[in-house]
Amino acid sequence: MSSDQDHLKETDTEARFEFKKEENSAVKSDKGLTEEVIRMISEDKDEPDWMLERRLRALEQYQNMPMPSDWPGMPDLSELDVEEIIPYIRPDVDKREGVDDWTELPDEIKDTFDKLGIPEAEKNALSGVGAQYESEVVYQNMQEQWEEKGVIFCNMDEAVREHPELVKEHFMTTCVPPSDNKFAALHGAVWSGGSFVYVPEDVTVEMPVQAYFRMNSEGMGQFEHTLIIAEEGSEVHYIEGCSAPKYGTHNLHSGGVEVFVGEDAHVQYSTVQNWSKNTFNLNTKRAICEENGTMEWVSGSMGSKVTMLYPCTILKGRGSTDTHITIALAGEGQDIDTGAKVYHNAPDTSSTIESKSISKDGGRTNYRGLVHIADGAENASTAVECDALMFDNESTSDTMPYMEIEESKVDVAHEATVGKIGDEDIFYLQSRGLDDDDAKKMIVAGFIEPITEELPIEYAVELNRLIELEMEGSLG
Amino acid sequence: MSAGTQVHANLTEEQVREISGDLDEPEWLLETRLEALEALEELDMPDVIRTPGRDWTNLYELDFESLVDPLNAAEDKDQVGPEEADVLSWTDAVDEHEELLKEHFGSIVDPQENYLTALSTALFSTGTVIYVPEGVDAEDVTIRTEQNSRSLFNYTLVVTEESSSVTILERQSTGEEAEEQYYSGVVEVAAGENSYVQYGSLQNLSEEAYNFTVKRGVADTYATIDWIEGNLGTQLTKTEVSTTLSGDSSETQIVGAFYGHNDQHFDLDAKVWHRAEHTTADLVTRGVTDDVARSVYEGVQDVGADAWDTSSYQRENTLMLSDESEADASPKLIINNHDTEASHSATVGQIDQEDLFYMTSRGVDPRAARNMLVEGFFVPVLEEIDVDELRDDLEELIGARLRQRD
Repeated sequence: MSSDQDHLKETDTEARFEFKKEENSAVKSDKGLTEEVIRMISEDKDEPDWMLERRLRALEQYQNMPMPSDWPGMPDLSELDVEEIIPYIRPDVDKREGVDDWTELPDEIKDTFDKLGIPEAEKNALSGVGAQYESEVVYQNMQEQWEEKGVIFCNMDEAVREHPELVKEHFMTTCVPPSDNKFAALHGAVWSGGSFVYVPEDVTVEMPVQAYFRMNSEGMGQFEHTLIIAEEGSEVHYIEGCSAPKYGTHNLHSGGVEVFVGEDAHVQYSTVQNWSKNTFNLNTKRAICEENGTMEWVSGSMGSKVTMLYPCTILKGRGSTDTHITIALAGEGQDIDTGAKVYHNAPDTSSTIESKSISKDGGRTNYRGLVHIADGAENASTAVECDALMFDNESTSDTMPYMEIEESKVDVAHEATVGKIGDEDIFYLQSRGLDDDDAKKMIVAGFIEPITEELPIEYAVELNRLIELEMEGSLG
Repeated sequence: MSAGTQVHANLTEEQVREISGDLDEPEWLLETRLEALEALEELDMPDVIRTPGRDWTNLYELDFESLVDPLNAAEDKDQVGPEEADVLSWTDAVDEHEELLKEHFGSIVDPQENYLTALSTALFSTGTVIYVPEGVDAEDVTIRTEQNSRSLFNYTLVVTEESSSVTILERQSTGEEAEEQYYSGVVEVAAGENSYVQYGSLQNLSEEAYNFTVKRGVADTYATIDWIEGNLGTQLTKTEVSTTLSGDSSETQIVGAFYGHNDQHFDLDAKVWHRAEHTTADLVTRGVTDDVARSVYEGVQDVGADAWDTSSYQRENTLMLSDESEADASPKLIINNHDTEASHSATVGQIDQEDLFYMTSRGVDPRAARNMLVEGFFVPVLEEIDVDELRDDLEELIGARLRQRD
């Protein structure tokens, strides 16, 4: 193991996610959702009128939409009171767009991200980093070599000002319109922060770009928006990480992610989510793939109280491809309802979904998926595989796939298995000298390997460490 | 009441009293019917699968007002079985086995579960009760129902005592062709300790007909309930076959085969509820969709917290013969006990072009080759069917339907 990995290994991951900072904000909105709050957010950001109008329209849609209620086995959202959430907190930093020199950050914020290992990762493995604290991006940097090639990596507020035509065209229009669902509408009204990534034609960004989101204040909502536009023949890997300390009241995270994958372009979007266990994580993530484009979603969901998240790819162009690799881990009091959606709307499209879940200590994991093959999507093929591992009898694991097939020339397969950790496997490892805990850890590590091998090594180490932490004391 | 629920202005208490009176029913049964009638207004249609933007089956569109004609039910019916078991018409059952009915009627399928079960409870006019006493092996019970009226509501109860066994083969068909018909069937199976029930059903109603059936069984300790469910007829079928494994070491198998062509719509549910230890379930369904037909399949394997040492398997395969047909599937696993081995798989595809090419290159004409491949597709399901007669009938119907194809 290299010394970099040792560094990550040695960091006390638990402490990194659990520590709290005192609130120190420049602007903080009132609780709840009113036109006044929306206007205040927009004004504080000095936004153009068109964006304010979009916000207000989304607010109206939000108010007219019912909460989802009739999904089979849906997580309990009764404790979530959106009116009690503070939708906007601007941290007290001098420069609104965020600094591009790490040392210029206020100590408390720098300290936060230091503990999370962000600057280390940037130095070692990334092309650029954005860091969001509460509702605003506080640090943004992109290595020069990519900037020279026309790659844009900036926060969304800056994108609204600097690249209005691109944003006007793509922001919550065709990919995730606010009318999509109640939380997309909410997001459209109160969104703040997030990343804008633009990769010009035929440019390959060889190292991943990363955004890190941190919620620090009690009872706040974070609504960052991520917009990725990968032009024809380009390639980029975007990684996001999220965390928040735990408070008594509930936090809400309702992000929006829109990815435009151009012809022959390739986008990988990786998420390692470790929200604190009082966070409602209700996201909408979607990609649209043009001809021969490739979209890859890689996600690890560890934290949150409730997660409802089904990253979606619309395979719009002939020959486009989608891959989903997800792993969910639910412990005590957690309901991780996640999965994938794929719309095959063109011929020769293919998709693969690989979903792994682990439930323990009364946690619930659910795979909820939708594969839709439209009439005319000839030679579409999809393979869905779900595996669930259960540790004890208080835990629950469900699988709820839906397959809508309107075209005959297709190849559709779904498989799912559920099981406990095999006693024989444990016995075998024990007979080779491992103790019970280590044997189980090893089995879990093997179980999640398909996802860790898709991530840069720093993230893979991080993910393994997080899972080990979650497993500690629960084995036996 | 949700939007679109059908309320029958033309259904009256008097009609229900008349049906019950004709069958010479006891007061408690009449009361159950009247309560179901009254509940209609409050009840919704049975659940159907919904995904973003669509209902997979829209039952609210059906015009029950004109489909249901309660006082003019007519059918041609046979119900025969061996002497050792009681295979009774509804009137005989009311007469001879009132205590049995009191104990089991409506205990497995709640009469007020939804609009259609309530409608069926209020209006059923024909039925069969099969009672198998302790230790008796009753082979070859056959029930044949030919519908000769606009609507027909049928009720079937099967009760097996300890260590008995029974094989039941039920067929539904249409006699006089009317324009549109509605057939409703409720089947309750109470399988006693260590008993074995095999219930085969072959639905071949007219393709103008609408069909709603619920077949539900509860298996006691060491009991086995095996279902065979063949669906070929109707323009719309909404059916559920399910077993609750409530006794330790109980088992169930649900074997399904369907073949939809023209504009047929099949909404098929296969469900198993593991509620005791060491229970085993195996669900196997294969079907074909052709022309503009549509199949909707929902399979549920639900393992309760007390269901230790469960084995549960499910397979569903659909073959699409035309571009315009649709096949939707949702095989669900709900697992609340970790001491479980469970898996499900579902596939949708078309006839393998290589297989077809191989056969035509061997001189088989393309049409015959295709038919052979479709028949071959059903083999794994046919092999699971223990009742020769049912297997032969099903094979024959599939063959006939294939030959109808251009």
